[in-house]
Amino acid sequence: MIGQMIAAVLGTIAFSVLFGVPRQYYTYCGMVGGAGWCLYSVLASYTPCTTTEATLFATFLVVLLSRFLAVWEKCPVTVFLTTGIFPLVPGAGIYWTAYYLVTDRPAEAADNGFAAMKAAFAIVLGIVLVFEAPDRIFKRKKGRLSH
Amino acid sequence: MMKKMESGQDESQVLEIAMEAGHILLENGAEIARVEETMERICRHFGVEYENFFVLSNGIFTTGNRSGDGTGGQYAKVQHIPVKGAQLDKVVAVNQLSREIEEGRYGIEQIKEELVRIRQMPGKGFLVQVLASGIGSACFCYLLGGSLVDSMVAFGAGFLLYMFVLLTDKSHISKITKNLCGGALVTLVCICCYRLGAGEDISHMIIGSIIPLVPGVAFTNGIRDLADGDYISGAVRLLDAVLVFLCVAIGVGAMFLIYHRVFGGILL
Repeated sequence: MIGQMIAAVLGTIAFSVLFGVPRQYYTYCGMVGGAGWCLYSVLASYTPCTTTEATLFATFLVVLLSRFLAVWEKCPVTVFLTTGIFPLVPGAGIYWTAYYLVTDRPAEAADNGFAAMKAAFAIVLGIVLVFEAPDRIFKRKKGRLSH
Repeated sequence: MMKKMESGQDESQVLEIAMEAGHILLENGAEIARVEETMERICRHFGVEYENFFVLSNGIFTTGNRSGDGTGGQYAKVQHIPVKGAQLDKVVAVNQLSREIEEGRYGIEQIKEELVRIRQMPGKGFLVQVLASGIGSACFCYLLGGSLVDSMVAFGAGFLLYMFVLLTDKSHISKITKNLCGGALVTLVCICCYRLGAGEDISHMIIGSIIPLVPGVAFTNGIRDLADGDYISGAVRLLDAVLVFLCVAIGVGAMFLIYHRVFGGILL
């Protein structure tokens, strides 16, 4: 669990580098990614939540953290959001869909493809809903262009 | 496409820098609402009032007028902005600049210079990007249940993958082909390593290594544009993301099939 947590943080930082995030934000990006993954894996393995629900709640956390950081650091939320969401993207689901398709197991392919789509929709929903929250919740002082 | 009349000089210059700022933002992965907002802020600050922007995911249309009734200096410009890779530090820099402009710290000439500087900000070096891709792949492989050895293989595959991505960056190969090849390349590397005895679970290795191809910026921005009601741009960006996802999956699948045909007997 701790190893995975470190992997999530490091992996997110690696992608911040790829996306050209300014150096001073690397740690924040890593923290957002790590926190999102942590919540996801705790929810998915220790509670009755399905993986889709776990993805949804983890997305909530990632977007909330990103918006807070964006206001504190006066920096576009895109920076934290794009990188922080990475560990939640259903990369594995896409792989399994392709894999079962070519191994001629359509039922499993459909299951996995459907699960990947549900996870993607959970991310969409999570992002859209948290962005409905008004800016002032996140503002401590007069911050501008906070989103 | 620019018309300048008598005293429209200042307005034109303001609209010109607003457009340049918008261009940099759009090109480097900002969402539509931010582009529009930044451009409007710059115009407001310099007292240009009768301007209109129409921003799409790959173009900006601007018109400006000295007065509301269509007389006086006029400005019109359309800029096509091809979709390319995001470099978020440029978005941060323009964002910061627009905040400083509002505080009145810059004149028009200085802003022009700043924008040129931002545009020329160097990206990360080849080796740094390739290493980051390798490390990212290894981490995600481990994250999704791979062993340490699997992660090492994923590191190698992610490393090679991004070398391929960067080397084909300048060429005219379409995005579709590029991602197909990327997916296939990763699968090939992983199959080879697996056959040579490195790695325990080929699936985890491949899953980890394809992560650098995941279009994270297009995906999240597409969602945010849709949420903001920018349906055209949101739909285009999501289409872009979905297309990349599909191509990578097809690339992986195709390589498995080829392997199967050549060596017989599907592995694992």
